Amino acid sequence: MRIIGPDYLVFGVDDLEGAKTYLQDFGLKPVQLDATGWLYEALDGTGVVIRHRDDPRLPAPLPTKNMLRQQVFGVEDAATLDVIEAEMSKDRRVNRLADGAIEFQDVLGFELRFQITTRRELNMPAEKINAPGAPAQRGPNELGVWDGMPALPRSLSHVVLFVPDIDKMVEFYTRRLGFVITDILTGAGPFLRPAANDDHHTHFFIRTPAYMQGCEHLAFHMGGPTELMVAGDRFTRKGYQSFWGPGRHKFGSNWFWYFNSPLGVHFEYDADMDKHDDAWVAREAPNGPEASQMFLLQWREKWAPGGGPEGGPKG
Amino acid sequence: MALLPLCHRDEIPDGAARGFLPLPEALRRVIVVRRGQRLDAYMDSCPHYTGGTPMAWRRDAYLNGDGTHLACHAHCALFDIDTGDCVSGPCLGRKLTRVTLTEDQVGYLSVPAHVAGCAARKE
Ligand code: FES
Ligand SMILES: [Fe+2]
Repeated sequence: MRIIGPDYLVFGVDDLEGAKTYLQDFGLKPVQLDATGWLYEALDGTGVVIRHRDDPRLPAPLPTKNMLRQQVFGVEDAATLDVIEAEMSKDRRVNRLADGAIEFQDVLGFELRFQITTRRELNMPAEKINAPGAPAQRGPNELGVWDGMPALPRSLSHVVLFVPDIDKMVEFYTRRLGFVITDILTGAGPFLRPAANDDHHTHFFIRTPAYMQGCEHLAFHMGGPTELMVAGDRFTRKGYQSFWGPGRHKFGSNWFWYFNSPLGVHFEYDADMDKHDDAWVAREAPNGPEASQMFLLQWREKWAPGGGPEGGPKG
Repeated sequence: MALLPLCHRDEIPDGAARGFLPLPEALRRVIVVRRGQRLDAYMDSCPHYTGGTPMAWRRDAYLNGDGTHLACHAHCALFDIDTGDCVSGPCLGRKLTRVTLTEDQVGYLSVPAHVAGCAARKE
């Protein structure tokens, strides 16, 4: 089953104008889909679809107040859609749409849609670094940072869900959809990746009571840690609220910086995530501050030493 | 009791909320919501997680889209503006920490000095 990962996530929001401004400032590009819907896309065309929560074009809401309405997965080929349709039709209703995509609910009632992926192939360099002992990645006169340097989300990376019954959910995504568990934070839940994606995770499940079911956060890959810092710094300066980070996770090794949003979930910039293949053996660690990050930093206003005592450096 | 000034009541538009740092180095803002003449103030500290976390999605954006509740824009928790009780979302059964507002004769608002060092969620 050649599932690649989320192409986009659909939200039904109560503050449409606020959400539009937010997504644009986050670095996503608006594409109007129809009279009432907008896709905000990363550089590869993955992203977030928003509509007002009363829009009849939206799939049904979750029983909670969470605004996530649907996860849209991209797959490599039509054969994968056929296999998923056959497998799901065993015990649930599957809708085949005119464009060939299929829709159904997972075992806990999350709305899913699978389609041949719409993501565009990216061809751009990762952040380059220079270090003694290794060949220089940036040649002579090639600068690492400059004012106005681009720092835009490249691709929708992962989705984190609050799930009331984690065993059912894991069984459904691994046995029925072919996801692989890469690591487990005991007390929270597992990281998963689908078969056609070597990223450490496209999904992470967190065990919660039923009244919390929904999306906890979603993340976009950046070109590297510097782009992540630059994007987060610019976003903070525009008045947006940091929630956690910047820092670097242990499982997945990805840099992270999370922000609150009017979609009622966190939006995360991430960068430089580990890759895995089927030879990998999942690790397990108790969930908590130690296991969840290598280090954690906090944004502050620009400051520099200066204006000190007589004879010292002048600010 | 030492007081820290926040603002004049007219600096908070009717039906809106604003967040104020009581001191430049304070750990959390104080949220003031104005509805007509009524003012309610709470710590900007969602009780979902230990330590409490800031709730707005952008500076001063503390209300839900309909303006009916204070909201934590981390995970959609909604709070009753009158009482601070969480009515929906992850912190159901918990409440926001209320802050006592003092208003002088001409409408300037202030809060007790201890709130500048206050971050933790009340257990
Ligand atoms: S941190 Fe406020 S609802 Fe989760
Ligand atoms: Fe994440």
